[in-house]
Amino acid sequence: MITLSGVSKAYHRGPEEIHALQGINLTIAAGEFVAITGKSGCGKSTLLHIIGGLEVPTTGQVSINGQNLSGLSDAELTLFRRDQVGMVFQSFNLLPLLTVQENVALPRILQGYPYRQALAQAADWLKEVDLGARQFHKPHQISGGEMQRAAIARALINDPRVIIADEPTGNLDTRLGTQVMEIFARLQARWQKTVILATHALEAARYSNRILQLQDGQLAS
Amino acid sequence: MPPFLFALPFRHLRSHWGRTLLTILGIALGAAVYLSIALAEVSALAAFKDSVDAVAGKANLRLRVAGAALDEQLLVKARQIPGVRAAAPVIETVAEMTRGGNEPLMLLGIDLFAERPFRDYEFNQHMDQDSERLVDFLIQPYSILITDRLAAQLGLGVGDRLPVILGSQRQELLIQGIFRPASGVYALNGAYALIDLGQAQELLNRVGKLDYIDLLVAEPVDQVAARVQAQMPPGIIVERPQNRSQQVDRMVAAYRLNLLVLSLIALFVGMFLIFNAVSLSVVRRRREIGLLRTLGTSRAQIMALFLSEGAVSGVVGGLLGIILGIWLAQATLKVVTQNLTALFILVKAENLRLSWTLMGQTLGLAVGVSLVAAFFPAWEASRTQPREVWHREELEEKLKKRAWPAFGLGLIILMLAGVCAAQGPVAGKPIFGFLAAFLILIGFALLTPQCAVGLGRLLQPAMRGLLGPPGELGCRYLQSSLSRTAVSIGALLAALAMLVSAAIMIQSFRQTVDHWITQSISGDIFLGPNIFSTAAYDAYLPPEVLAEVQSRSELADVYLYRCVRSAYKGRPILVIGGSMAVLDRHGGMLFRRGRSPEIFAQLQTEGNVIVSESFAELNHLNEGNNFLLPTPSGPQPVNIVGVFYDYRTDGHTVWMDIKFMHRYWRDSLVNAVRLYLKDLAQLEPLRQQLLQDYASRYRLMAMSHRELRAGIMDIFDQSFALTYALEAIAVVVAIFGIITTFLVLIMERERELALLKAIGASRGQVFRMILVESGLVGLISHWLGALAGTLLSLVLIYVINKQSFGWTIQFKWIPDIYLQSLVLVLGVGLAAGAYPAWRALQANLAAVLKEE
Repeated sequence: MITLSGVSKAYHRGPEEIHALQGINLTIAAGEFVAITGKSGCGKSTLLHIIGGLEVPTTGQVSINGQNLSGLSDAELTLFRRDQVGMVFQSFNLLPLLTVQENVALPRILQGYPYRQALAQAADWLKEVDLGARQFHKPHQISGGEMQRAAIARALINDPRVIIADEPTGNLDTRLGTQVMEIFARLQARWQKTVILATHALEAARYSNRILQLQDGQLAS
Repeated sequence: MPPFLFALPFRHLRSHWGRTLLTILGIALGAAVYLSIALAEVSALAAFKDSVDAVAGKANLRLRVAGAALDEQLLVKARQIPGVRAAAPVIETVAEMTRGGNEPLMLLGIDLFAERPFRDYEFNQHMDQDSERLVDFLIQPYSILITDRLAAQLGLGVGDRLPVILGSQRQELLIQGIFRPASGVYALNGAYALIDLGQAQELLNRVGKLDYIDLLVAEPVDQVAARVQAQMPPGIIVERPQNRSQQVDRMVAAYRLNLLVLSLIALFVGMFLIFNAVSLSVVRRRREIGLLRTLGTSRAQIMALFLSEGAVSGVVGGLLGIILGIWLAQATLKVVTQNLTALFILVKAENLRLSWTLMGQTLGLAVGVSLVAAFFPAWEASRTQPREVWHREELEEKLKKRAWPAFGLGLIILMLAGVCAAQGPVAGKPIFGFLAAFLILIGFALLTPQCAVGLGRLLQPAMRGLLGPPGELGCRYLQSSLSRTAVSIGALLAALAMLVSAAIMIQSFRQTVDHWITQSISGDIFLGPNIFSTAAYDAYLPPEVLAEVQSRSELADVYLYRCVRSAYKGRPILVIGGSMAVLDRHGGMLFRRGRSPEIFAQLQTEGNVIVSESFAELNHLNEGNNFLLPTPSGPQPVNIVGVFYDYRTDGHTVWMDIKFMHRYWRDSLVNAVRLYLKDLAQLEPLRQQLLQDYASRYRLMAMSHRELRAGIMDIFDQSFALTYALEAIAVVVAIFGIITTFLVLIMERERELALLKAIGASRGQVFRMILVESGLVGLISHWLGALAGTLLSLVLIYVINKQSFGWTIQFKWIPDIYLQSLVLVLGVGLAAGAYPAWRALQANLAAVLKEE
């Protein structure tokens, strides 16, 4: 279970203070598929980054499965990201020098798994996202939709409890976006992962169990 | 082209100011080194020419005898020759001042009444008002007139005494007046004095003798010269006084050429920096190029944009280099002057002579190399299609595909370097040798991409096993960043190759010289005038000392040595006479052909000589050949019975038995002796005894063989100190390149590194990954640099040095240099990666990963 209590995040842009999030209170049950929607700049990405341990809130507490993220050191946060969270980004963020298979295997390799074993697992996950035939390609040799499916496989390989997806269809056309969302839905149903999706596209949000509206850094009721 | 477009490169340079600064500094250092060496050389040689001109005055011709004095009777004869307007006798010697740091003092013995048409002096008021001073100058023993500069420098005035060492004698000279040359040009920067001719002859034991006679002619110089030559006895040389400057120019030509090439190395390495900077700029700005092309910018305009970026770095770097070069030249002038004095000829240059031409040349060179370096990336940028917005990985793929062809081309260029190395000199200069060296550097630079790919691939499994994912990724990044790393590796390998080759060459040379000293300079004690420099040849051993030494019972043998400066075919040579039978008994010399005992036996016959290897090479003479040796008794036909290895720098040498030399030179002078002891246990007591007997009375030195060897090796090390300094600067420039590369690499990969951290890579893992990559860059640079350096050292030893100086250097492999440079390069590589890595780890993950 994910619990956010009174989470706020403020940035300084020059002399100006920007309140990206203000007093967010939120609970997400294990296995739930939640979509956070809102306009650009409403704080969706910031909220996801805080849940994923990429950013620290200015005030408030984040707790995931009883573990308070505020008290974690940088090294502990690294372990947390590595073992408990899978991330999918709008611009795929695959490493260009690795093959698709190696990109997927990377979190496993970073965990210390033997290289070949990690690659074998990556191959299995690539089949799950219908990319078995593209595993030896480099990222720039495949399409955007395929890159995003590879990124999903990478997010799942470490068997995390939480998947965070920040605008995963933002760089894709409608057809490819639909394909990606169907994969999310299929995998969530099969593996019972908690999925938190940030999107401004209502078509994508439709695949979730619950839709939350974020407006000017606050959750709309 | 709209001027606005030209503002773009400036904006880019400004926005990446750190990288721009390093590139500009690299070019500035290269330009500064070039200018400082050029200014120092020009200043030192101009000072030497001033000395020659100041002493020559208005003289058109000079009469002299090679390495001996003239009979003063010739003065009267010369004055009577039609066309000769005036003749002035001169005695010239170099004394050593024992006040003010044992500096040299040129002493000119002149006939004041014959001088005025030749050299005009302005005397101080004291001398003008008081004509008694003039009389004192002429009649009081040891009276001299000194220059106003020397008087100011030493704080001396009229009536003061100046202690000096003349030959092997201590003397105190009385200052009777102070003058300044009317021309404003000072010999030896003012360190000279005038003495009455008669007194000089007495003081230097040259009564009835002159060193030369200056002539002022009223008709065309060549006609009068021919007339004078016809009326003078054999052995008299009739020449223009300025010939001395030309001879010295020829003597130091090879030294200057080598320094010039060395000074260009840093600039050559700087070229890689510009190439790197503009290449990076092209890659980073592909989208911008695509956009500009879409908006109608022509290919030529795109090319001009990037060339102007290189040119801006060149202009700013060149200007900065000029300022830095002038500053550096002050220190370089001191070193170059010391080297020229220790190795070739007495030079005293304290003031730097700024030359607009040289400064213009430096700026032109900096801009030129920058434009050449920027040309290829600029050309590549201009080929970009409007629709084409490359991703870096596509470029990397393209480069990877070109790695093998580049490797092949590199091998072909290396073979071409081999062909060039096999060619002979062009007009006495090792032009093909330098070309071979340049081709070796280019050839190895072309091997770089494939070597980076190959090494990355080869080490990948091992590094994975050793360091886990960071090791694996570091190897992968190395293979996929060729657009960045290959150029930096090329720059570092070039600098390292020069460092390794110079070290091997210098060490090989050092050991060769050491071996030569051991083999060729035998003797237990050396006794001679205490002037350990090239000015020593007109200092002699007092005859009474020689007689006393020869009668000592502790000695098994005494070797007599006589050396004169002369010239052969317009080049300075040394003619040396020695007791060859003694030399034969105690070790002899290193001959390139033939057996020592037989050669020494042949030297007992008049007309037989041995010559140095450099003399033989330069004049295309071999064992068994004859040539005419100029002597005071006229040109003597001599036969070469042996060619020996010799590493003197102040002239190629011709040796004969001393008895024949005394016959040709019509004297019995001896410069120094080598003493061979019956019992070596007596070495130190005898040396102390000799010092006690003669050191204070005559200013003689008595040195053991070990001390002499140390003295020679000291001069050797000093003369190569500049070489090491120049190499070090080239390495610094290359280090700038490596740091720049990694700063850019990490900056570009900021997002990838953030992603790695986001998906669970620890700080340590990211840090290690970058260090593996930068360490590998250092390692490849080192391996290729060491290999290229070893090949270069062969070219330096067997081609460039051989053709420049005629020396055969025995190649000596120096394993230490590889280890030392490995430590240096790995240190540099790791340090260059550490800072950018640390910077990358400070980045805010969320901000970096924020969607575009």
